Amino acid sequence: MLEIKNLHASVDGKEILRGINLTVNAGEVHAIMGPNGAGKSTLSNVLAGRDGYEITQGEVIYKNENLLELEAEERAQRGVFLAFQYPVEIPGVSNIYLLKAALNAVRKYQGLEELDAIDFLTLVRSKMELVKMDEQFLHRSVNEGFSGGEKKRNEILQMALLEPSLAILDETDSGLDIDALKIVSEGVNALRSQERSIIMITHYQRLLDYIVPDFVHVLSKGQIVKSGDKELAKELEKTGYSWVHDQPEGLSA
Amino acid sequence: MKQLTDLATPFASVAEALISAEGTVPWLKKLRQDALTQFNVLSLPAKKEEDWKYTSLWSLSQQSFNHHAESVVIAADDVDAVALLQDAYRVVIVDGVFSDELSDIDALQSGLSISALSESVEQLEHKLGKQTELTKAGLNALNTMLMSEGVVISVEAKIQVEKPIEIIVVNTGNTANLATHLRHKIELESGARATVIEHYVGLTQDSYFTDVVTEVNLAESAELTHYKLQQESNNAFHIATLAAHQAQNSQWLTNNISLGAKLARNDIHSQLLGEQSHVTLDGLYLVDGEQHVDNHTRIDHAVPNTTSDELYKGVLDGNSHAVFNGKVMVHKDAQKTDANQSNRNLLLSRGCEIDSKPEMEIYADDVKCGHGSAIGQLDEDQLFFLRARGLDEVSARSLLTYAFAVEVLTRIPNQVIRDALAEVIEQRLPKTGGKV
Repeated sequence: MLEIKNLHASVDGKEILRGINLTVNAGEVHAIMGPNGAGKSTLSNVLAGRDGYEITQGEVIYKNENLLELEAEERAQRGVFLAFQYPVEIPGVSNIYLLKAALNAVRKYQGLEELDAIDFLTLVRSKMELVKMDEQFLHRSVNEGFSGGEKKRNEILQMALLEPSLAILDETDSGLDIDALKIVSEGVNALRSQERSIIMITHYQRLLDYIVPDFVHVLSKGQIVKSGDKELAKELEKTGYSWVHDQPEGLSA
Repeated sequence: MKQLTDLATPFASVAEALISAEGTVPWLKKLRQDALTQFNVLSLPAKKEEDWKYTSLWSLSQQSFNHHAESVVIAADDVDAVALLQDAYRVVIVDGVFSDELSDIDALQSGLSISALSESVEQLEHKLGKQTELTKAGLNALNTMLMSEGVVISVEAKIQVEKPIEIIVVNTGNTANLATHLRHKIELESGARATVIEHYVGLTQDSYFTDVVTEVNLAESAELTHYKLQQESNNAFHIATLAAHQAQNSQWLTNNISLGAKLARNDIHSQLLGEQSHVTLDGLYLVDGEQHVDNHTRIDHAVPNTTSDELYKGVLDGNSHAVFNGKVMVHKDAQKTDANQSNRNLLLSRGCEIDSKPEMEIYADDVKCGHGSAIGQLDEDQLFFLRARGLDEVSARSLLTYAFAVEVLTRIPNQVIRDALAEVIEQRLPKTGGKV
């Protein structure tokens, strides 16, 4: 599905990612954990195609294509989905309009017809149940006036509708109370499948109690310094991140 | 270099011919004569005048205009195609001449009267020129000395007009460099309610000149919802004054959407003369290429307990130039005034220019007034979000621009009109990505 090889990326001449290596196979859930400033958000932005990052070395292969050569929208159309840490508000654009535009963009790439209004609404309603969202959210402007939890649920709703091959969840747990965290996690778990890979980026172990990963990686100073299974996350919870700073530079677990 | 005064002479000669024409009623003759005298003193406004600092009428003054339209026939289907609304009382003016055939005002509800200025001007003694001051600017004098067509609407007390009234002013391009001078008069007696749309359409990209003054008089508790949709040719001049007097408890909601013209200038003025009166003065200008649009608005809070709300938004592309000057005057005794004004602009290119000047002059001490002006570009985070959801860059930009623009429609109470205007705006956006 995804292969990241020796990825180096800089912002304004400052190197943030310093040689990331990661292979994600179809159906796997990977958690990437790390302290603030480790490069977690940079990694998700680079994978999703946000402007402003300079790739100085390495490559990213996604479904046999060079991901880094694709525009953000081309990546999305090919099934890469970024659930934003801070979903933006877009006054004046209704949620339903966004969902329809996004779905049709993906379907167009897949060579499928646009859904008609009735089929589309039926589909959206079924996905809304998954994240327990009320239909009134469809007619409100995208994220405008939504609570933190509603914004994150809205991200998962978009993911459920677009059915991506690779979902990158950037700090999806941040700002969520326990109830919202449960709803979001249930939504994500329902979307786990043999064909879909998920990368969860998080600071805290808490999320991993609800979405249990197959692999856990620790990111520090732009490198993956340790990899393991879900037990690694529990270990981190006990010891904190202080120990990762003591790891010798350039060490990859 | 010639002075503007010299070049303005042709308008004066047309006015002289009108004044000396046989059969003109004496009071109208005098009104035109006074206007001509003023025009000869004031001439067309020049850039040294503060209100015309950013808008030059040089190119208008350079051009000679034709004041007599050759007769032209257009099909009812053509009018249907450009009309904003299909279910409305319709008044159609083609190349400056009222068309009885294309209009639909034969079966009016009782208490409503709609007529063409050319057919009813003799009954308008003491009615014309009440909301506009001849001396204020050369352009009102120009309109008064030359006005030849327009629409006169009056609604009797307590009558609610069931259907919107759409005034469609069409330029066919059949007469080269045609100048039309229109005067509309909208009069609502106490408690009357009506919706009026002024709609200006150019069928070609030719050069011509539309000059219009609209006078609005709202008696006690009258409510007028008024829209202006300007879709002139991109080579046309559109100069307009819209002025209202508002009595106690009257409500005026107006929305001014300016999409066309090479040079468009709107002077919009509300005088809140009775307590509890309210005006909502919204507008949108969407310009590109070499277009120039100038909106000057003024609201006078003349008595206590009046309210005003104003939102003007602009979208500028290409080398376009927009001017917004919004003045709110709170007079000495106008305590408890509540006035809000905002002008927000979206710049889509490096070549465009906006001059935004919100102004408040407050002479009362117990008031609630706020104003602001903002100029910005499309938000990069919003753009990335949409692209990360699969929308191509052109569609994403177009969607965000649309979302910015249509905010000015949110206060329109009539859903059909709001949707129709939203569609017009959507079609006017840069079209390269196609509708998603």
